[in-house]
Amino acid sequence: MLSIKNLHASVEGKEILKGINLEIKAGEVHAIMGPNGSGKSTLSQVLAGNDAFEVTSGEVTLNGENLLELETEERAREGVFLAFQYPVEIPGVSNIQFLRTAVNSMRKHKGEPEMSAVEFMKLARETSKQVDLNPDFLKRGVNEGFSGGEKKRNEIMQALLLQPKLAILDETDSGLDIDALKVVADGVNALRAQDRAILMVTHYQRLLDHIVPDYVHVLAGGKIIKSGGKELALELEERGYGWLGIDEDAAK
Amino acid sequence: MNPQATLSGAFLQSAGSTLPDALKTMRQQRATALADMPVPTRKTENWKYSSRHLQLDDSLAGTLVGGSSNTAFHNGDAYRVVIRNGQLDLDASELPDVSGVEVLAFRNLEDADAAQLAERLDNTLDSKAVQFARLNSARFEDGLLIRLAKNAVLDKPLFVFCENGGDKAGSAYPRIYVEAGQHSQLTLVEEYTSVGEAQALVNTVTEFSLADGANITSVRLTIEGQQTQHIGATAARLQANARFESHCVGFGGPLRRHDLRVCLEGKGAECKLNGVAVTQGQQHLDNHTVIEHVAPHCESEESYRNIAADKSHAVFNGRIHIHPDAQKSNANMSNKNLLLSTGAEIDTKPELEIYADDVKCAHGATVGQLDEESLFYLVSRGIDRKEAGTLLSMAFINELIEQIPVEPVRDAAHARLVRFIEQSFEGA
Repeated sequence: MLSIKNLHASVEGKEILKGINLEIKAGEVHAIMGPNGSGKSTLSQVLAGNDAFEVTSGEVTLNGENLLELETEERAREGVFLAFQYPVEIPGVSNIQFLRTAVNSMRKHKGEPEMSAVEFMKLARETSKQVDLNPDFLKRGVNEGFSGGEKKRNEIMQALLLQPKLAILDETDSGLDIDALKVVADGVNALRAQDRAILMVTHYQRLLDHIVPDYVHVLAGGKIIKSGGKELALELEERGYGWLGIDEDAAK
Repeated sequence: MNPQATLSGAFLQSAGSTLPDALKTMRQQRATALADMPVPTRKTENWKYSSRHLQLDDSLAGTLVGGSSNTAFHNGDAYRVVIRNGQLDLDASELPDVSGVEVLAFRNLEDADAAQLAERLDNTLDSKAVQFARLNSARFEDGLLIRLAKNAVLDKPLFVFCENGGDKAGSAYPRIYVEAGQHSQLTLVEEYTSVGEAQALVNTVTEFSLADGANITSVRLTIEGQQTQHIGATAARLQANARFESHCVGFGGPLRRHDLRVCLEGKGAECKLNGVAVTQGQQHLDNHTVIEHVAPHCESEESYRNIAADKSHAVFNGRIHIHPDAQKSNANMSNKNLLLSTGAEIDTKPELEIYADDVKCAHGATVGQLDEESLFYLVSRGIDRKEAGTLLSMAFINELIEQIPVEPVRDAAHARLVRFIEQSFEGA
């Protein structure tokens, strides 16, 4: 489904990604782990189309389609979803208005009729329960005054509503207490499907106790330096990154 | 234009009208006094940014006539006054029949009432600051007088539809005077629209005189066509414990100028002034506000926001003047601006002049662009850029629009702003 070949990307002239190669098939869950500064978040942002990052070479395709040629909104409509590490607060735009606009943009793209406000409210209320968010949050500004955990749950709620082909979860576990982590993990597990790929970017192994990946990759210095099964995550937890020859401080 | 020019004499020829003698005399006196009115130039401080957009060709001097209209004035559950080119159209109006409330046309006033009005007109204005209000006083041909007796309450909003335009170029001088007795209450909505295609100059004056404890809410929408220059003035004088609330929504044009002056003359008076302005293309819009804190223990709260797109230009000048006796004044002024393109321009100038020592005053002005991070977040959910930009722009002004207390006006203003801002993103 997702194919990344020799991807190089830089920000403000500094190269961050130095030749990423990654293949993810439909139905698979991949985890990318690595120390801070290894390029994990850059990879997520580049895939979503943040033009603060410049792709200098390489190729990214989603189901054969060249993602790099598409605008951010077009990628989203083709099924790319990024759960942000730091979801932005947008006072003045209500969460429900935002969610409905997003869902209807997708529906319009697929040639489906738009959902009415009433119809959508019903769907949004049900989905908010699935991630244990009080439906009152729907009326508030997008992420406005949400706690860290609420923001992350709101991200997962969006994934559930938008039903992407490729869900990229950027540090979705950071800042969550164990209860919130379980709720988020349940949400992500509900997303697992035969026709969907999930890419989890994480610093810690603990999320992977709840969302068990099929493959684990270690990203360091802008390259994937090791790939393996879920047991690789446990090994990293136990031994740190040092045994792979990564100096965590130097990587920053 | 010659920088020394005075207003062309053509503008001072009042057409014959059916006004009562006292008002005709007053108007004539104003015209005489105006004979040497200098036309504002770049060097005129309060017209610094707008003088070059001012177009006072003699062809605009004549009074607008015609401009056939099929407008159906929908206003929901409210009273209605229609003013066409400055003349009240009583047939199209729906006047209140409420005890203590009089809604009258200047032209129909009894002699004694006309004489009293002639004394009072202009008394809320600072004629040095609002040159064009003087022109209105020399040219109005009719007007709307609203008198509220002590304790009178108008149960529903009064909508004033001011429709201006004609078959050939000209000008119109709509005039409104509100005399609010003690503890009376009124919500007045003014909506300025255009008809016809001819070049037009619309020069308005609306005055509010509030006795002790009177409470007035004023909503003002300017949604005129691109053939219309609008130069309007609104002024209010408040006695003790009176309250004045104003909501202005302005859409850009070749020239849109509004001067708002509130004079807090009685102890404990308060005002709240909200304004939203949007411009696009080559449009120009200029809001000047003045709040005079004359008496002690008065409060003013002001918030204006502008959104400028393309190569348009918006101006805000807000002055708060705390007089020496106005101890314990509490004044708060904020002006926030959003630029949607690098070619757009905003000029903002908050001015505080404080002559009392025990006061609380705050002011702030910001100019910014759409937040890239927010925009990326929205488009990453499949929302197109035009819609995302519109959502974020509306978020910038929603807080003020939501405070418009008359629901149909609020909804209509909101919908119109969304359409306008969407246009600003088209082709961007």
